[in-house]
Amino acid sequence: MVGAMEIYMLLPKTNCKKCGLPTCMAFAVGLLGREKKIDECPPLIEEKKYEAKLKKLHEVMAPLENASEIGLIIHPEKCFGCGNCVVACPVNVAAEPTRCAVGLGPEGDKVILRVQDGVVLANNLKECRRFGPNKILCNACTATCPSKAIEFV
Amino acid sequence: MTTCTGCSLLCEDIELVLKTGAISEAKNLCRKGQGHFQALFTERTKPMIDGKEVTLDQAIAKAAEILKNARTPLLYGWSNSTLEAQTVGINLAKKIGANIDDTSSFCEGLLMERILNGKIPTCTLDDVRNFADTSVFWGTDPSNSHPRHLSRFSYYPRGEKRQKSYEEERTCMVVDVRKSATAHLCSNYYFRVPPEGDAEFLESILTVLDGKIPKTGDKKRLIELGTILKKTEFGVIFPGQRMIYSMQDKMDLFEELVARLNEITTFKVIPMVGHYNMRGFNQLMLGQTGFINSVSFRGGAAGAATTHGPEQGVALAAKSSDAALIIGSDPLSALPFGTARALAHIPLIAIDPRRSLTTDAAQVVIPSALSGLEAGGTALRMDGTRISFEPITESERLSDEQILTRIMEAI
Amino acid sequence: MSVELKIVCFEDIFQYESGEKSRFSDEYRQFSAVILLDKQDMASLGVKDGDKVLVENEISKIVVAAKTSDDEPHAGLAFMINSVWSNQLLRDDLCNASVSGFKGITARVAPSQGEVTRIPEIVQRLRA
Repeated sequence: MVGAMEIYMLLPKTNCKKCGLPTCMAFAVGLLGREKKIDECPPLIEEKKYEAKLKKLHEVMAPLENASEIGLIIHPEKCFGCGNCVVACPVNVAAEPTRCAVGLGPEGDKVILRVQDGVVLANNLKECRRFGPNKILCNACTATCPSKAIEFV
Repeated sequence: MTTCTGCSLLCEDIELVLKTGAISEAKNLCRKGQGHFQALFTERTKPMIDGKEVTLDQAIAKAAEILKNARTPLLYGWSNSTLEAQTVGINLAKKIGANIDDTSSFCEGLLMERILNGKIPTCTLDDVRNFADTSVFWGTDPSNSHPRHLSRFSYYPRGEKRQKSYEEERTCMVVDVRKSATAHLCSNYYFRVPPEGDAEFLESILTVLDGKIPKTGDKKRLIELGTILKKTEFGVIFPGQRMIYSMQDKMDLFEELVARLNEITTFKVIPMVGHYNMRGFNQLMLGQTGFINSVSFRGGAAGAATTHGPEQGVALAAKSSDAALIIGSDPLSALPFGTARALAHIPLIAIDPRRSLTTDAAQVVIPSALSGLEAGGTALRMDGTRISFEPITESERLSDEQILTRIMEAI
Repeated sequence: MSVELKIVCFEDIFQYESGEKSRFSDEYRQFSAVILLDKQDMASLGVKDGDKVLVENEISKIVVAAKTSDDEPHAGLAFMINSVWSNQLLRDDLCNASVSGFKGITARVAPSQGEVTRIPEIVQRLRA
């Protein structure tokens, strides 16, 4: 997972404040938290000397760009298809008490996690308990994954 | 619903949609199962004699001829075949006075034998899900070998007496030479043993169970382990290949540990069998011959098992056989060099759905249907539970059972 | 420079998956013909990730790719995935109660300039 320092090293580091934040480090943190977008830094976009850094920044930020609103990232190429997350997810368990709760694949479509074509697939992410006004720091899926195929940003 | 025959968990909740030449969609199949099923479409075998394509009838006729004329034929494989096919295979062995064996004779049979003979108590995987509060993986990494083991049975699901499951009511432990993916999942209870160090570790457990301090190892952790084992209501140990190889001449000691644990509480053992129906072969053989593997019917009255011992195990039998039928197995890849080499020097008949080192070296290749997909039948899960399955797609290829029946008819 | 190591075999889901597509592919060889070495052992040998090593014992010898193990230190011990490569080094009298001591693989490992041993060569040795 990319860190704030790594992002900071790819920014102009001039603290010009054109993004609305006081320092480039603050912008780096903002990018990481997805409160800021890369094109909110005008020098980075407009000045040719930052072309290589801009390209690299897009590369390192790409996984986050794919992350869902609740910050869930799946790396299907790492996934074993073991179903640990499918069975551990409290939303899955509540939705499928005779299936996911007891180790089987889901029957319906109200689940968040399911195994499809050998790897995990996420859906209905707004149902995830990490999301919304009463959000909690549930980590059932990431803590039960044997291969770090699922993580939160 | 389809049953996956990729490993000995035999998952029955698979939903599969096939299209021409590929899997269109698969639900609930783990990565290993997905690989197993998509093997339907790659490197499928054709009937061959001496490297040239022939008709199926010709291949079967040639196979029958080789077996009929062999003085010391060996029938090997079996763990990827249905009970029905294994039954025909044992009958074939009796008919031609052959030596019959499967991979369990290398080492894993040492545990299976004691379980099937009632010396080590066992239970079903459903019992594990419903009652187990301590699961111990010893010398095995189910996350890689039986991916859905923890989610379907041994750690994560809820069960009758384990409604709070892994969060509050189950403990998972790993004893292994390396910190595997499964060990990472239960890192608080990962016990590293050096190679061949399993016996010493086991002695330490016996010591702490007696309330004494062990002489070697991390004493604090071992005492903690002892406490957890004593407080366990229903424990299950899942020994795998690395434990059995290490403990092969010390299985009495393992039996002693399990007995000792059962004096204190309830502890069962389920063997981490690899192939989907190895247990089926062992149980069938036990019922018919009194032995789980390594039997020769040579020289005896028809139907009577004559000999059982190391000489009848594939490692030695490969060197004394003059022909071999290999079914659903690739011994030239999967067996140690010496045994593989011995097999490569005798006429081989390979019955296999897919190309392998063994089919490449075989004098006769007979293409077979993939069990669970193209052919139905019954198998025994690693815990002995009988699982039946129907094919989900049609195939021109014959099942193992049909091929063996035809060979028998031609002899 | 060479080191004598014990080698223990293990299962890997990605290697298995590759094998189900083909036992004869480059991909399968890249997954299987690998030895996971402890950092200290790699330093003693003077090899780095991806370098080739010759693994030899009284049974056979093979060239595989060296990879740094991400496990806790385990100098003197290496890991290989269960495959036709590891089986070239495995004795077949495993279940012999009269044989004492380590029943896994013990082999000498040294840097190699050669290519990773391929299946056709292994088959040739089996049929020789």
